Amino acid sequence: MVPEYHGRAESVDCGTTDLTLGAPSVAGMIQIREVTKRYGTKTVVDRLSFTAKPGQVTGFLGPNGAGKSTTMRMVVGLDAPSAGDVLVNGKPYASSKAPLREIGVLLEAKAAHPGRTAVSHLLALARTHGIPRSRVDEVLGLAGLSAVAHKRVGAFSLGMGQRLGIAAALLGDPAVVMLDEPVNGLDPEGVLWVRKLLTGLAAEGRTVMLSSHLMSEVSLIADHLVIVGRGGLLADTTVAELVTAEGVRVVTPAPDALRTTIAGPGVTVTSTGAEELLVAGASARVIGLAAASRGIPLFELTPQNASLEAAFMDLTRDAVEYEASR
Amino acid sequence: MKITPGGVVAAEWTKFSSLRSTWITTGISVFLLIAFGMIASASFSGDNLTSIDLALSGSALAALSVGVLGALLGAGEYTTGMIRATFATVPRRLPVLWSKSLVAGSAAFVTMTAGTFAAFVAGSAVLNAEIGALDLGDDGVLRALLGAGLYLGLVAVLGVALGMLVRSSAGAIAILAGLLLIVPGLAALLPDSISEAITPYLPSNAGSAVMTLTHSDGTLAPWAGLAVFAGYVVVTLAATAYRLKTTDA
Repeated sequence: MVPEYHGRAESVDCGTTDLTLGAPSVAGMIQIREVTKRYGTKTVVDRLSFTAKPGQVTGFLGPNGAGKSTTMRMVVGLDAPSAGDVLVNGKPYASSKAPLREIGVLLEAKAAHPGRTAVSHLLALARTHGIPRSRVDEVLGLAGLSAVAHKRVGAFSLGMGQRLGIAAALLGDPAVVMLDEPVNGLDPEGVLWVRKLLTGLAAEGRTVMLSSHLMSEVSLIADHLVIVGRGGLLADTTVAELVTAEGVRVVTPAPDALRTTIAGPGVTVTSTGAEELLVAGASARVIGLAAASRGIPLFELTPQNASLEAAFMDLTRDAVEYEASR
Repeated sequence: MKITPGGVVAAEWTKFSSLRSTWITTGISVFLLIAFGMIASASFSGDNLTSIDLALSGSALAALSVGVLGALLGAGEYTTGMIRATFATVPRRLPVLWSKSLVAGSAAFVTMTAGTFAAFVAGSAVLNAEIGALDLGDDGVLRALLGAGLYLGLVAVLGVALGMLVRSSAGAIAILAGLLLIVPGLAALLPDSISEAITPYLPSNAGSAVMTLTHSDGTLAPWAGLAVFAGYVVVTLAATAYRLKTTDA
């Protein structure tokens, strides 16, 4: 029998995060330095370097098979890097005296015994650090799982499993929260909950890192973007930087005259139709003024912004590991 | 708030006691001990048989059962994915192996010792007339009952170590059953001179030495036998510790 899920009332209340989690006592940071991971002859992560800093949400993006999960497994010491260093709060994770205090992690694959109840699962993790039972109940409430706390994990839906994983990640009130594909399997309300939770945690000064293969999902909450493909770094950037202007679309009956008028260093003009030009390196304002000064009529003058999704696709096009044949 | 040895042991106890399979396999082991002990005590007789031998005739099956319990605890971490949460929480890893062994070993020792005493008491009550009755105060009786509990506790630890070594329930159970049940049979097929030399040192034979009252040339002394069996457990634990430290989880 699958238990009915009664988490609704609690999970809608997205403002509960700051009630139970105070400011972190340790300034958190994840540093990946020249990390390489090989499985046999296959290089899964290739000289990857980046830093996730406190107070911001770092989005870790890349196509499936780009090495995101492997990198996150190396952060918490489940896999050892073939070369390079992974530091959590300035030191190797395994050397920590209170690992749950340093980093809370949700890994992509299920990490709970299906025969245990949610409470027993969290209690088993909490006891290693002497975390009290009250904290277990607290994170269960935070994740909207209080009503199913005594149900076996095996009967949980994918979304409830994700919530349990997030509850486990918050157990030690960690300085760093790292989640692998956290919104997988969550309903829209759950997705909203995760967004508010993560931005709230970053606002408290914690380091938040989440991975995804969907740009649209991450761009809403991430300040900092780390984009990987085939294990290598493709971009270490911000959302604002990634959406750079692609150019200005100009429609005019006299394309050749306009071309000579606006020609100059750094300006490239491509013809995209009989009366259409795409101008890069000059703003719409500059083009419009130049055209007016020569009396060249313009029918259209439109700045073209690359969408985030398109920018992401452009970046990762050559790095897609598993592509549908066309 | 930090990791303490006691905390890791408490966590392993929580894991151990929160699974239904723990209680089922433990219950079955105790049941096998008592049921086989009573049946054998009531019906078997022979020249060299003592009432202790009869009372503990379920110990071989109970060993298999507690070994399976240990193997499920160890390998279950891997087959369910729980190991990722476990090692992300205790990244040094080895405290998990020691604590899990301690919890499974102590729990099996306590329950199985209770089982051996119960089997002895129940077996004595239904003992057939051909066998002379023994008392708890008689020579070697306490040692045999306690030793059987210790042996079964060690078998549970062996199961945990094998489970975390091969990371598969089926694999660990197959190796365990092979070691305890099949290897002695295979050794008997060897030429007599070799067979006689190694048979006393095989895991289940060495371990059983502690629970018999009569010792022939073909068996080790009681505590020496148990020590040899403990040696096998230590070697397996060392191999498991090495694998835990050197391979990805």
